[in-house]
Amino acid sequence: MRAMTSFRYIGAKRRAKEHPRFVSGRGRFVADIALPGMKHVALVASPHASARIVSIKIEKALAAPGVLYVLTGEEFCANTDSLAIGVDAPKVTRFALAKDVVRYAGEWVAAVVADSRALAEDAAERIEVEYEPLPHVIDPEAALKADAPLVHPAHGSNLLYHRTFVWGPVEEAFANAEHKIAFRAVWGRSATVPIETFGVAAQWDAGTGILDIWASIQMPKFPDQVARALRFPGNAVRVHHDVDVGGSYGVKRGLKHAVLVGYLTKTLGVPVRFIEDRLENLRGGDMQGPDRFFDMQLAFDTDGAIRAMKIRAVDDVGAYAGRSPFQLGKPVTAICGPYAIGAIEYEPTSVMTNKTPQEAVRGFGQSPTNFAIERAIDRVARHLGMDSIEVRKRNFIRKDQFPYTIPSGSTYDSGDYHAVLDKTLAAIDYGSLVRARDEVRRSGRLAGIGIASCLEPSGGNSAFEVLMNPKNENTTWMDSCLVRVDLSGAITGVINNSSAGQGHESLVSTVLGEILERDPETIRVVRADSLTALPSNSPVGSRMAIMLGGAAAGAAKTIKETLTAIAAHNFECSPEDLEYHDGSVNVKGASSKKFSWDQLVEIAHRKFHKLPPGLEPGLQAKFVWEVPTGGALPTPEGRIQIYPCYAFEAHVVLVEIDPDTGKPMIRRYVCGHDCGVMINPDIVHGMTYGGIAHGIGAALYEKFAYTEDGQLASGTFMDYLIPSAMEVPALAIVDHCTPSPLTTFGQKGSGEAGYLGAPAAIANAVNDALDPLGASIDALPISHLAIWSAIGARKGAAST
Amino acid sequence: MLATHGESAKLLAGGQSLVPMMAMRLVRPGWLVDINEIAVLKFVAVEKDVARTGACTRQCVVERDEALAARVPLLRQALKWVGHIQTRNRGTVGGSLAHADPCAELPLVAQVLGARMLLRSAKGARTLEAEKFFSGPMATSARPDECLEEIHWPAWSWRRTGSAFTEISVRHGDFAMVSAAAQVAIDGDGRCVRAAFGVGGAGGTPLAFPKIAARLVGTRLDDAAVSDAAHAAAAETQPGSDLHASAEYRRHLAGVLAARALREARERARSL
Ligand SMILES: Cc1cc2nc3c(=O)[nH]c(=O)nc-3n(C[C@H](O)[C@H](O)[C@H](O)COP(=O)(O)OP(=O)(O)OC[C@H]3O[C@@H](n4cnc5c(N)ncnc54)[C@H](O)[C@@H]3O)c2cc1C
Repeated sequence: MRAMTSFRYIGAKRRAKEHPRFVSGRGRFVADIALPGMKHVALVASPHASARIVSIKIEKALAAPGVLYVLTGEEFCANTDSLAIGVDAPKVTRFALAKDVVRYAGEWVAAVVADSRALAEDAAERIEVEYEPLPHVIDPEAALKADAPLVHPAHGSNLLYHRTFVWGPVEEAFANAEHKIAFRAVWGRSATVPIETFGVAAQWDAGTGILDIWASIQMPKFPDQVARALRFPGNAVRVHHDVDVGGSYGVKRGLKHAVLVGYLTKTLGVPVRFIEDRLENLRGGDMQGPDRFFDMQLAFDTDGAIRAMKIRAVDDVGAYAGRSPFQLGKPVTAICGPYAIGAIEYEPTSVMTNKTPQEAVRGFGQSPTNFAIERAIDRVARHLGMDSIEVRKRNFIRKDQFPYTIPSGSTYDSGDYHAVLDKTLAAIDYGSLVRARDEVRRSGRLAGIGIASCLEPSGGNSAFEVLMNPKNENTTWMDSCLVRVDLSGAITGVINNSSAGQGHESLVSTVLGEILERDPETIRVVRADSLTALPSNSPVGSRMAIMLGGAAAGAAKTIKETLTAIAAHNFECSPEDLEYHDGSVNVKGASSKKFSWDQLVEIAHRKFHKLPPGLEPGLQAKFVWEVPTGGALPTPEGRIQIYPCYAFEAHVVLVEIDPDTGKPMIRRYVCGHDCGVMINPDIVHGMTYGGIAHGIGAALYEKFAYTEDGQLASGTFMDYLIPSAMEVPALAIVDHCTPSPLTTFGQKGSGEAGYLGAPAAIANAVNDALDPLGASIDALPISHLAIWSAIGARKGAAST
Repeated sequence: MLATHGESAKLLAGGQSLVPMMAMRLVRPGWLVDINEIAVLKFVAVEKDVARTGACTRQCVVERDEALAARVPLLRQALKWVGHIQTRNRGTVGGSLAHADPCAELPLVAQVLGARMLLRSAKGARTLEAEKFFSGPMATSARPDECLEEIHWPAWSWRRTGSAFTEISVRHGDFAMVSAAAQVAIDGDGRCVRAAFGVGGAGGTPLAFPKIAARLVGTRLDDAAVSDAAHAAAAETQPGSDLHASAEYRRHLAGVLAARALREARERARSL
């Protein structure tokens, strides 16, 4: 294992390379892209959750000032192809504009193109759509019933995906265990809600035959999918990655937006831009996250050892499929959490309803699953009258058991869960925390301590795709980096994706600096567009520290080898006799016998006569690599290695509740975190702070609520409540480092840190607070009203 | 302008409610009449039994005025719950009252203290009691051609006068689910000589309970009396339900918060 001190730049506190640009207001976002003669789009959205479109009258809109064009589904669907459908459900087609029927309130029905967004909005109001309302279904359990209205009648049912995986002797464990519990945990529909909504600008050039796209994206294979839907060859779409993305954490997919705008610019021959307003984003932007309930069953013994777990997860993906059902698939890779549970049954069920389609959200389904597992652990402890910390420690995989293969087939790389939890408890001074809680309780208020210990699978081997759809035989999850050293000796790293605040420029410059022993401040990082880029799977699944970091390191090592080879050739010695130091190469034991960086660069670029035979001139290297442990197909019983690396986090939180109003207040918060070697600790901590705040939102505030008639009831920030600085308490983060044996520097991913455990920890704290009343809440978000109702129900029950 | 264009003209004060509603296309004025530069609408004057504020006075100015805080402390106490520092820097007192959100803080203060609204139109001026001014959710009895010019806030003269404002919202700075305001005056013995209290968010307009408050006069405002009054008031409310709070929850909160406001006001009065 590598000692942290052996690094020069990795792990050092250093200002992120991107900060000066953002702090001084020099970011360049989609809304900053102004193309000459650019037109703007406004949309007409369905007011019904389910209806037949009888007629669309566009004449008045076309006559409105500044209007260029009105597009309806009829024309659009005839000239483009459906967006990709991840699971095997070919009839669940999906287009940006509805044709014949609408399947959710907010679905786009027509697009107006005008000189300005305001004029387009004015004209959109003049479009008259006649609807014939059809029966709809909002509740996922109702949607599974035989007589339910069908969201996609051609598919034959509302069930999109269902399978029962049995990994290990589940029934035997349930038959023999001393105790069993069963309960339902409910994860409310929430998301990441970036300040920047989705936006895309596009320009078709009839001369070159290239469609240029600038978009606020975080989407694997985006250029390819846009090209396919537009029936273009792949090399006719050029996506520019040098656009700053104003927040994403999963939701900035934007395929339907880009295909729509691409079609419009091609048809009209003028540049077109569409930037969602907030309502379009929240209601019709297809960015709502998992909406899921878990029927949990656990079999365990009196000593707290958990023998088996059954999880039935029913996820409501809304009206269309896309990649969202896969959010039930990723958790397979950490289905038993950090616990050595020998037998697991997992029954993922993906259901369609007449709600806004679901999209990827931070963790890709892992945070809801962690919440269900961590509630289960607390319920086991409560059932046995044991301390929940004891139950966790009793079941944790021990550090000497790694690499550890879980029943579903993934192997965890490394970890020391006991150490991190102990460190976290020490940091919060657990003994005094318990006393503080008990003191609050004595004063007549409610207080509870919540703990969650869980995993962040990282590295983005998305093999759940082939697991859930054997027809989708994809096992390649590469990433890449190109490194160039120019004639002046300056280093440039070229990456192949846009960034939504993850700090990829800091990552790559740090890694290149580390390997080449050059100051990262002097290293530039730029982005190739999609026609010049090397293959990438984009920054999803906490993969970039591992994959882009690894690719940059690989390319830098090649540069280093090249420099050494040049020196060896000129010293007429073997590379083994040389050593690389601060960018120059000298003969071992004779530090004055050396070639400097500048000399070597000069030879590479200008002195072919001094270049070793066979070496390519110039100084550049590309490195493309497959995700560690990737490449395998699932076994028949559905065992498969998915993500390579597993970070661990332990949350300890104290929540106080006003018993008269039900208002919860987070009093203390400490999070212990082990993501291996941190390349940039400030970025990791920033991610973790934000992740915890995001988790507080999912736990207590945020919900895309629907009325019975299928209307989104939280379409503004007055009703979709994101925690503000006032709701997020002081957070303390405790670092720990168990390096990963699979990665270049021992790093693991951390883009989902904090979010993966915060909802569980807070829910456990609220339940600990309610425990003396005999009440419990297992549904998120835990609203003030829900707490008050739980308290009231118990008080009522007590007094009768 | 208002006389000529009637309903299609709207006054623009701080814009903190009007502009978002325009952005959502919920309000579409043909004319916007900016009153931000009209000096006579922007002042604070503290007199013997009354404090007067111009309608277009910024909420932050009212919040920071020491003389006003000394005579009508409830205003400052309420204002700290109104939105955020940023919105109070723009938002005006008159805009908040004219907007008449049933959950808003300043309309509740106006109801509880019995503030009077001076309304002016091209035809002349008239004064309306708060009780008559607020006519329903987001509705007032001001006519489309009238501008709210001044608000007169009664100042109590008892030396031992205490007041308090409290509320509960899901997040800090949100409109309250329920709010409560109270003001009490006590004599040298600690007996109540006058009381006023009310709740917001528990009906179509903020509610004051003068009859129930009158029953507190003569008591020592002990917890039981306060609690009775608060519960009697809560029983009179007819709140609505929404995503965040059911009617039953709101009615319960009305009782809890009214009692808290009354107790806190009493403690302030006792400390004088
Ligand atoms: C994020 C945010 C949070 C907020 N939270 C709260 C809160 O917690 N509590 C709260 O009470 N408010 C809150 N508000 C609203 C804020 O207090 C507004 O400032 C206030 O409601 C309106 O005042 P204004 O001066 O901005 O009026 P404007 O928005 O300019 O006008 C509002 C309405 O009043 C009319 N009007 C304005 N002045 C006059 C006048 N002199 N005569 C007649 N009609 C007039 C306008 O024509 C318009 O119809 C919040 C606002 C925001 C943006």
